[in-house]
Amino acid sequence: MKASSVVLACGVCLVFLTSCASSKKSLFVLQSDPDGKTGEIVVANGAGSQALTRAGDATEVKDANTPPSAPFRVEEAEIAKTFGPAMAARPAPPGFYLLYFRTGSANLTAESEKVITEILQGIQARQSTDIRVVGHTDRVGTREGNYRLGLDRALRVKAILISKGVDPAIIEVESHGKDNPLIPNQDQVPEPRNRRVEVTIR
Amino acid sequence: MRYLSSIIVAALVACATFAVASDGSVGTVKTVNGSASIVRGQSSLPAVVNERIFQGDTLRTGPDGSLGVILKDDTSLSLGPNSVVVVEQFLFAPAEGKLSLVTRMLKGTAVYISGIIAKLSPQSVRFETPNATIGIRGTRFLVKVDED
Repeated sequence: MKASSVVLACGVCLVFLTSCASSKKSLFVLQSDPDGKTGEIVVANGAGSQALTRAGDATEVKDANTPPSAPFRVEEAEIAKTFGPAMAARPAPPGFYLLYFRTGSANLTAESEKVITEILQGIQARQSTDIRVVGHTDRVGTREGNYRLGLDRALRVKAILISKGVDPAIIEVESHGKDNPLIPNQDQVPEPRNRRVEVTIR
Repeated sequence: MRYLSSIIVAALVACATFAVASDGSVGTVKTVNGSASIVRGQSSLPAVVNERIFQGDTLRTGPDGSLGVILKDDTSLSLGPNSVVVVEQFLFAPAEGKLSLVTRMLKGTAVYISGIIAKLSPQSVRFETPNATIGIRGTRFLVKVDED
C-alpha cells in the first residue's frame, strides 16, 4: 500500500514536471503606467523569481526549470517591432468622472451638473456600452443609511444619463455607502469631497 | 396609465440596481483588427467591438489580427497577432471584498495595464504563462510567449 502510494506520487511528480518543462520562452518588459508612475512585477517559477521595478527593465524565462533572468534592457526599436501591433490595439483608457452632492441629499452641486455634459461626450467618444456608477457618502450617519444614500445618488445619476438618451442596459449601479471615502477621515466628521458618485466609462 | 408607467419605470430601476453585471460579463471588446475571435465553450465567435467577455473565455488572434479588451475593474489587455489568452477567473465585488483576476497566456504578445483589483488587492491578481507566474503591483507590462 505504502509502496504503491510512493509510485503514484512519483508518477504525479513526473507528469507535473513534464507538463511544466515547456520550451515556450517568455519575455516580460515593465513599463510606466499611463499616469507616469511605475509599479512592479514579480516573475516567478519553480526555479526562482525576479522582480522588475524600473521602467524598461526586462526578464526572460527560458523554461520552467530555469529561473527568470537578471533584469536587462530591451531597445525601443526592438519593443516597437515585437509589441507594435499589441500596443496599437490598446483600448482608449477608461474615462473617470466625479460628481458631488449636497449634504444628505441626492441633489448634484451646481458645478457637477456641468460634468454630466462631459460624461455624455466621453460615452460618445468611446462608443461605450459599459458604464459603472458608484455612489458614496461622507462618514456622518449609520452604515445602512449611508448605503441607501449612496445608492440614491448613483440612481439619480443613472436617471439623468437615461434622460439624456443613454441606454439603461449599459449602466451598472452600486453603492459603497460610507465604506470607501475619497478623503479618509474620522467617523461622523462631515466631508463634502466624500459625498460623490464615481462614473467610469469603458 | 401614468401611474402604471411610473411603477414600471420604478421596477426597472430597482431591477437594474441589483443587477450589477446582470449579464455576468467580465469585460468588453474595445478594439479589433484583422482576424480575432472569442472561444466560449465549444463555440468560437468572431470578436467585434463592444462584444461582452465572460469568465472562462479564450481570446484568440490570427496571423493578421489584434484585439483590445477592458475588464470591469479597468484592467486593459491588448493582444498582437497569433496570440491566445484565457480569462481564467474574474471576481470584482469591492463592496464585499471579493476580488480575483487570473489570466493565462498560451502564446503571442500582449500589453497588460492593471486595474482596480491590482490596486485594492495585488495578491489577488495573477498572470500566467506556460513557464512562469507574474505577480502585479499596479502597473503596465509587455509580455511575449514564444510558440514551441
